[in-house]
Amino acid sequence: MLSMTQLSKVYQTHMIETHALRGIDIQVREGEFVAVTGPSGSGKTTFLNIAGLLEEFTGGGYTLDGVDVRGLNDDQRSRLRNEKLGFIFQGFNLIPDLNLFDNVDVPLRYRGFKAAERKQRIEEALSKVGLASRMKHYPAELSGGQQQRVAIARALAGSPRLLLADEPTGNLDTQMARGVMELLEQINAEGTTIIMVTHDPELAARAQRNIHIVDGQVVDLQRLATAA
Amino acid sequence: MFGYYLKLGLKSLRRSPVLTALIVLILAVGIGASMTSLTMLLVLSGDPIPQKSDRLFVPQIDSGPKNASWQAGEEPERQLGWVDVSNLLRDAKGKRQTALYGVGPTIDPMREGLTPFVEQGMATTRDVFPMFDIPFVAGGPWSAEDDARGADVVVIGRALAERVFGDERVVGRTLRLSDRDYRITGVMGDWNPIPRFYRINGSGVDSDVHQVWLPINNAISRKWSNNGWTNCSGDIDPGFAGLLSDGCTWLQYWVELESASDREAFTDYLRAYVAEQQALGRLPRPENNRLRNVREWLDFVGIVNSDTRMATWIAFGFLLVCLVNVVTLMLAKFTARAGEIGVRRALGATRNEILRQSLVEAGVLGAAGAILGLGLAIYGVALIDGRLSSSENFFTMDPWLMSGTVVLGFFCALVAGLLPTWQASRVRPAIQLKSQ
Repeated sequence: MLSMTQLSKVYQTHMIETHALRGIDIQVREGEFVAVTGPSGSGKTTFLNIAGLLEEFTGGGYTLDGVDVRGLNDDQRSRLRNEKLGFIFQGFNLIPDLNLFDNVDVPLRYRGFKAAERKQRIEEALSKVGLASRMKHYPAELSGGQQQRVAIARALAGSPRLLLADEPTGNLDTQMARGVMELLEQINAEGTTIIMVTHDPELAARAQRNIHIVDGQVVDLQRLATAA
Repeated sequence: MFGYYLKLGLKSLRRSPVLTALIVLILAVGIGASMTSLTMLLVLSGDPIPQKSDRLFVPQIDSGPKNASWQAGEEPERQLGWVDVSNLLRDAKGKRQTALYGVGPTIDPMREGLTPFVEQGMATTRDVFPMFDIPFVAGGPWSAEDDARGADVVVIGRALAERVFGDERVVGRTLRLSDRDYRITGVMGDWNPIPRFYRINGSGVDSDVHQVWLPINNAISRKWSNNGWTNCSGDIDPGFAGLLSDGCTWLQYWVELESASDREAFTDYLRAYVAEQQALGRLPRPENNRLRNVREWLDFVGIVNSDTRMATWIAFGFLLVCLVNVVTLMLAKFTARAGEIGVRRALGATRNEILRQSLVEAGVLGAAGAILGLGLAIYGVALIDGRLSSSENFFTMDPWLMSGTVVLGFFCALVAGLLPTWQASRVRPAIQLKSQ
């Protein structure tokens, strides 16, 4: 599903060069639920942005669902992002003056679906997250947990091959976080591949596999534990 | 997607309402001011008689004295003296010709409840009506014989007929003008040339169409003085006799030629006429004639004066300043939306889709500004029109100008929105999502 080989990312200003990722090799198979962990500033978010085609990488290779993304132009990357990826952000990132229906509609509009299909997909996605009855509500009328559910519905509506979640429970209390996590597990059980960046070891432990990034490199946690 | 963008654009009006209101208001004021000025300019520079403006001419003859203040080749007087007018009318070298001067007879309605009043009139010849395509609702011009003998006949305007008689079917009836009875030969229909090209005294837009038209020989026989510009120089007799002498110019003369190509022949005639008069001891200055058609005449008399042109330039300069402000405000508005744009980009919107959405949003703001601007322009034009002494509506916005106003507003908003929308489309989603 996702294959990064010797992938590197260097941020360059005229003064300094910052190596955010240093030749990482990451493979994620279809249907996996992978947690990406690591301390702040380790390169987790950079990895997620590159995986989500929001940023370009400096070196190495990246293949997403069989498509080599190197050399794609901005339009092609946008189309690929829209077709194959779903995003869940820590801050939900719903559009405040659109109701839930219209928020979930956003990626479907750019996909070019007909109105009837969009409506069906939106209703199904909101039903899946338990908010079908609140389609006409606005984000500000919902709790944080509910808003994150809407964000999940928006990510799911286009039937993505890969769901990228950046600290999806970071802004939620324990109970809400548990509910969101259960929802992600259910989505994964239904076949969607998930990569989740998290600080929370408890959440990471619920994933099938952990990738630990430190200082821009993937480290083997078992080897680290043995060395300790 | 246009419908979707339009829906988002309409929604955006409610977002940051103060900023939105400022953008719309600034755009509207700029559009309103510039379109008000443009309306004035276009109305004033319009052709009042397009069907024959290239065949109607004003001749000028330099009849002034050869005194110390005279300079060779200087512009001759705009009007002619009675001697030259009489001669040109007698020669009748054009298809039609006429002379006009303003009179102000007192009208006695001879009806209970109506007191006598002064009405603005024109002393002229019967050719004036077909020359200027003046319509009649009843009757017609007086006869050539009436012209020659200066008969007590009159053509009146419909408004005057309604006022005095309460009816426009008054041909053959008598109207009492300055204590003498005049037979009405015709009632004029609606005729509202803008500007009042046939006799310009002042701005050309500050008088109603004259309601009383009578033979010039009649007015002269009654020694009615001229209501308008009179220029006399040298030793002239006192009183009305002096006005008729060679030293005064006070009559507007018009000639209609068969075609524009007859202009040269008429110019030759004028040259020959001046030579003939000089041989008779008149016209001391060298021949210095002018012959201008309607458009040339209006340009010459400065109907569209430099103030009007300057005001229009200033108004459009003001619009430019408004647009610069709108650009700044739109930049602020779109910058505040960077987060949302980042989300849309992450969810699959291409840069072009963001650009189109933002342009439609700018267009919606433009449409709102244009509609408000149109209202301001209509109000501005009405305000200026209301300050004129004329009861007619000189300055009005026609449907073309109204549509032009809306298109201008829309276009301005799109131009002002180019930089902000381009910037919006360049938003880097990763940075925006991180800062959310």
